[in-house]
Amino acid sequence: MTATSARPAVVPAPLERRSPLPVFTKSLTDSWRSLVGWSLGFIAALSLYLPIFPSMSGNSQMQDLIDSLPPALTRTINYENISTGAGYAQSTFFGLMGFLLISIAAISWGAAAIGGDEESGQLELTLAHAVTRMEVAVQRFAALAVKILALAAVAFRMVLFWNGPAELDIDAANLASTCLLFAGHALVCGSTALLCGALTGRRIWGIGGGTAVAVGGYVFNAVGNQSTDLAWLHALSPYYAAYGHHPLIHGADAWTLALFYLAALVLGVLAALTLRQRDVGV
Amino acid sequence: MTLRSSLPAAKAAIEAVHLVKRFGTTVALDGVSFSIARGSVFGVIGPNGAGKTTIMRALLDLIRLSSGRATLLGTDSRNAGPELRRRIGYLPGELILEGRTTGRRLLGHYANISGPVVQGRVDDLADRFGLDPDRTVRTLSKGNKQKLGIVQAFMHQPDLLVLDEPTSGLDPLMQQEFLSLVSEARDAGQTVFLSSHMISEIQQAADEVAILRDGRIITVAGVEALRGSAIRHLRMSATGVGVAELRSRLAPLTGMAELDCRSRRPAQRPPPCSAVRSRRSSRRSPP
Repeated sequence: MTATSARPAVVPAPLERRSPLPVFTKSLTDSWRSLVGWSLGFIAALSLYLPIFPSMSGNSQMQDLIDSLPPALTRTINYENISTGAGYAQSTFFGLMGFLLISIAAISWGAAAIGGDEESGQLELTLAHAVTRMEVAVQRFAALAVKILALAAVAFRMVLFWNGPAELDIDAANLASTCLLFAGHALVCGSTALLCGALTGRRIWGIGGGTAVAVGGYVFNAVGNQSTDLAWLHALSPYYAAYGHHPLIHGADAWTLALFYLAALVLGVLAALTLRQRDVGV
Repeated sequence: MTLRSSLPAAKAAIEAVHLVKRFGTTVALDGVSFSIARGSVFGVIGPNGAGKTTIMRALLDLIRLSSGRATLLGTDSRNAGPELRRRIGYLPGELILEGRTTGRRLLGHYANISGPVVQGRVDDLADRFGLDPDRTVRTLSKGNKQKLGIVQAFMHQPDLLVLDEPTSGLDPLMQQEFLSLVSEARDAGQTVFLSSHMISEIQQAADEVAILRDGRIITVAGVEALRGSAIRHLRMSATGVGVAELRSRLAPLTGMAELDCRSRRPAQRPPPCSAVRSRRSSRRSPP
């Protein structure tokens, strides 16, 4: 017994175990730094905006200032409702700063997932290993969704944290469904970036496609707000679909939520099918 | 283009039948057929742009053939599943590795996908090449990255190795180490398909060689036959003989293709006369 333990070479060499979902795990572990960075950004933005709400809402001068602005401007930046806590959080964070941050994060992750990886030349070697293209695309899409949901969870926790101290008086259930919408909208932008990256094998097209959905939706919403003649533009705006009915005040419609996640899923599947069809790295 | 009779599917590691690949109007592969016996080393040489990389990428199903088909280890290459890929080790010609992580972590990731990898195998391979696997990939030199790529291809002891210009960036000592790794792989029953633009390397490593040009296989031959048909340039200088006389003596030699005799200027002496000779040895009369 002692002889065999002293000579481990005699024992059959143990095999390193193959972990399930290796591409998914890798995708998550690779981006923990950026996930932490974006989370800090969220925490900073929310901790700058939310605590000053009491001084904004109780201050008639602030409302006078908003009233003195051209109505077209306040409608464009969605600042009509900032006297309530829900309206304030929606106008400053979910509709503006948070929307900007999570869209940038989602689009950059989505564009890098396939298009960026192919452009840099690393996708070729991954695909030469024991995975199918479908697996790579699906697992990277799943990782994208998890990262975006993690960011939305950070937003949820932070708003909930400030809800009492900043006298926001936001209903927790409405906040939860709004955060899901917030993530769903970002996931649609990120999945579009993933799909455009998978179509072209170029990161920049992914960024372009994702940005078109985010910015286009925002612009259509802003222009549609201006008059009833232009309100039809709302139909083209994912941003309006998410925030047009004030989910922080009224709660999010379950169908709207389902629609966002379904759309993201369809985009993800399309990306996988596209990648399956074409030449990689040419 | 098939210059050898096809092997039975079970015996061939790679069976490529009339591979054609077009990129737009460019024809990258123009009907390439070959087969590689299991347990042999097969080399392909050719100038840049001949289609070496395209063949390898098509075999790995990274690019899709316009027509033709390829069978790897008895499985059709098109949309082949993980089971086949696990049995293949691939080294891309233009190796790009993720820079932020360490070599060991990166290898661990690929082992997760294509494993199992025998414990200690990575360290053994890294030791042979003098590679420190715990350094961040970004900080490695080109040659060290190439070593990491070689370890990546060999670590899971695949049945088939597809290596695109594997020694590029390696110093001569490491090239020798690589060649001994290849012959060990052959002795262990693994099949190796490698490309190069250096004939000397192929001559050392391969049992059989295909010469590729403009997307076509010009010839498939054993290494000895290839060596015999190689063009060699010789330069010699002679003293005590005139240009005309030297030319008349050298010109009749068998296999002489081009002959250039000229006299050196008086200032540059010795020698007063030199001959530049290039000869093509014929197969009928060996040198």
